[in-house]
Amino acid sequence: MSYINAMITSGLAFAIPLFIMAVGGIYSEKSGITNLAVEGFQGFGAFCGAVVAVFLGMNTGLSSSAIIYVAMLFSFIGGAIYAIIHALLCIKFRADQVISGVVINILGVALTTFLTTTINTALFGNASNKFTLGVSPRFSVPGISKIPIIGAVFTNIYPFEIIILIIAVYAWYLMYKTKFGMRLRACGENPQAVDAAGGDGAKTRFLAVMSSGGLSGIGGICFAYSLLSQFSPSIYLGYGYLAIAAMIFGNWNIIPTFFVCIFFGIARAGGYQLCLAMGLASIYSDLFLMIPYILTLLLLMFFSKRNHPPKAAGEVYDKGKR
Amino acid sequence: MKNEKVPSEKGFFAWLAKVLGHEKWNSVTVPIFTIILTLIVSSIFLLILGKNPLTAFYSFLAGNGFAAKASYGAGNGMLSDFFAFLNIMAPMLLAALAFIFAYRCGLFNIGIAGQMLMSGFMATILVGYNKALPAAVAKPLVIIVGLVVGGLLGAFVGFLKYRFNIHEVVSTIMINYIISFLTGFFINSRYVDSITRSSKICSSAARLTCTKVLIGGYYCNVPLGIVVALIMVFVVKFIFDRTVFGFDLRAVGSNRNAATYAGINVGKSIIMSMMLSGCLAGLAGVTYYLGYTNTIIPKTLAGMGYDAIATALLGNNTPVGAIFASVLITIFQNGANYMSSTLGVAKEIASVITGILLLFSACSGFFRYLSKNKLNRIADEKRALERARKEAESK
Repeated sequence: MSYINAMITSGLAFAIPLFIMAVGGIYSEKSGITNLAVEGFQGFGAFCGAVVAVFLGMNTGLSSSAIIYVAMLFSFIGGAIYAIIHALLCIKFRADQVISGVVINILGVALTTFLTTTINTALFGNASNKFTLGVSPRFSVPGISKIPIIGAVFTNIYPFEIIILIIAVYAWYLMYKTKFGMRLRACGENPQAVDAAGGDGAKTRFLAVMSSGGLSGIGGICFAYSLLSQFSPSIYLGYGYLAIAAMIFGNWNIIPTFFVCIFFGIARAGGYQLCLAMGLASIYSDLFLMIPYILTLLLLMFFSKRNHPPKAAGEVYDKGKR
Repeated sequence: MKNEKVPSEKGFFAWLAKVLGHEKWNSVTVPIFTIILTLIVSSIFLLILGKNPLTAFYSFLAGNGFAAKASYGAGNGMLSDFFAFLNIMAPMLLAALAFIFAYRCGLFNIGIAGQMLMSGFMATILVGYNKALPAAVAKPLVIIVGLVVGGLLGAFVGFLKYRFNIHEVVSTIMINYIISFLTGFFINSRYVDSITRSSKICSSAARLTCTKVLIGGYYCNVPLGIVVALIMVFVVKFIFDRTVFGFDLRAVGSNRNAATYAGINVGKSIIMSMMLSGCLAGLAGVTYYLGYTNTIIPKTLAGMGYDAIATALLGNNTPVGAIFASVLITIFQNGANYMSSTLGVAKEIASVITGILLLFSACSGFFRYLSKNKLNRIADEKRALERARKEAESK
């Protein structure tokens, strides 16, 4: 029983930051900009948050949980600012969007590693490539968390999980219930029509890519505060790519993507717990960690036929095109 | 008459537009332009850090054996550095070719890193740990294992795309993870070296780099991979330029519907191009893991698999262009350590410079577009002037 509880708790802690990164990916792709840059966005966002957190931790008496909230805010801003490069390349400079994404990832790894080393040398005098952040405190909802199985959802929650869910609900509302969201989705299908209807295709896409960067940044700092307990190049584990896979699996819609992410998280934690429950050595956990990826491939075989990617994704927007 | 500033056909920008927009030469001039831009921007970056950019660039060259270092260790010289440079350039060039092969057919092979790891792993356990094989058998066998394993993985991705409509980006990402965990498990449980925590080194008979060869009085690590890579450049070029099969692949890449209409078997083309891309990635894997490193760190995908995408792009997605691009990128990455030691800047600056270079080369289409626009405007203006003069004459 305790294995199942642990599976749900740690599965959610992994799934929810992954989900917000996937939502970031959806924002960009729904507006017609192919986004392989999620990995770079989340790393750069996490870097900005981590720098602010280290700085605040040194100079102010803020409590550690207050610092986490500020860090989340700054990772949103940092991710959004970094995403400007992707937006400029894809929208203004007519670069190939997939290639731009790859370039953004490479530049992100390089820049953050270089800056981390430089800042560490300047502040602490040692050329370390990581900022130690610690793990965010957790809480359990009293009462409900005692219920078997379902209670695990409310046990040992990271506060950021709640914040992310609130942001995700707002992101859903923005995309499906507002004028901006409708234009954004239209940009991904037929940007010329948006222009004809009096909107500004380029501007909408620009904003969409920036939000994508911001949301990915939040995902990045949450991984830094939970799984890794530090900011270092190890943040580039490929979760950005996993988020993209979740997005495609979820057919570019926010709600199905949420369930896909939960599935990834539970399968990942489940594999680990299964290995523990069977009493196998920790080496074997690698075999169980493969399970979610194999399952994904198998499931994709059944579901991919119906996939509908945004029609204009990957195309350079040309005003004069008919 | 409007009193606006008219673009003239003389001046720096007009000259630049002529150079960059030249129909025949823009595939050469645009990359050179991006390199110059990169050198300017990274010089500014280095100046802000208070370092001399000229020293930095000289150190990059010296670190790769293109220029003399201040001092050398015993038995080492410029030639040793140059061979070390070739040793890492070989897998980079092969991986870039792998990306190009799929890209020309309209497919993105993001799984190069995984294909490299799997073929390197299989070659290591099948051939590298077999001490009985003589070098003349082991080395070709390593290459064959690389080709077969990489090709099978690539074909599998192509099959998933063709049969189940699974986007190749997603399937390769999933397969990357699976390979990383699977090989990590086997290395950790069977083949681990208890001191280095990575896999045991393979026999020198199987290794594709001959170590400590005495050339001109210097000890050099001579990579056979570079020969393989250069042969592959011409094989890929030949397939694309001279065969019907290559033409079919390119047709599928430029317009899938038109290709279907023309009677090309699109499904076969997709599977074949992913398979051959995988073969090249497999070769990159064996030259990397059984040449450059000679060991495999468990659960780590080579960053080269992603850098190769950028290298391919810098080389205009052409096989010959990839040679120049991989030379340039390897100079920055391989020279980083020496540059860092002479200049006292963190060696990650090399990756930053590579990143800037890639950023500009991603814009190369834009440079072409701008210069075409500029040339068109100049032509329009000439015509307008001509007309005005004729009108004046007729009056």
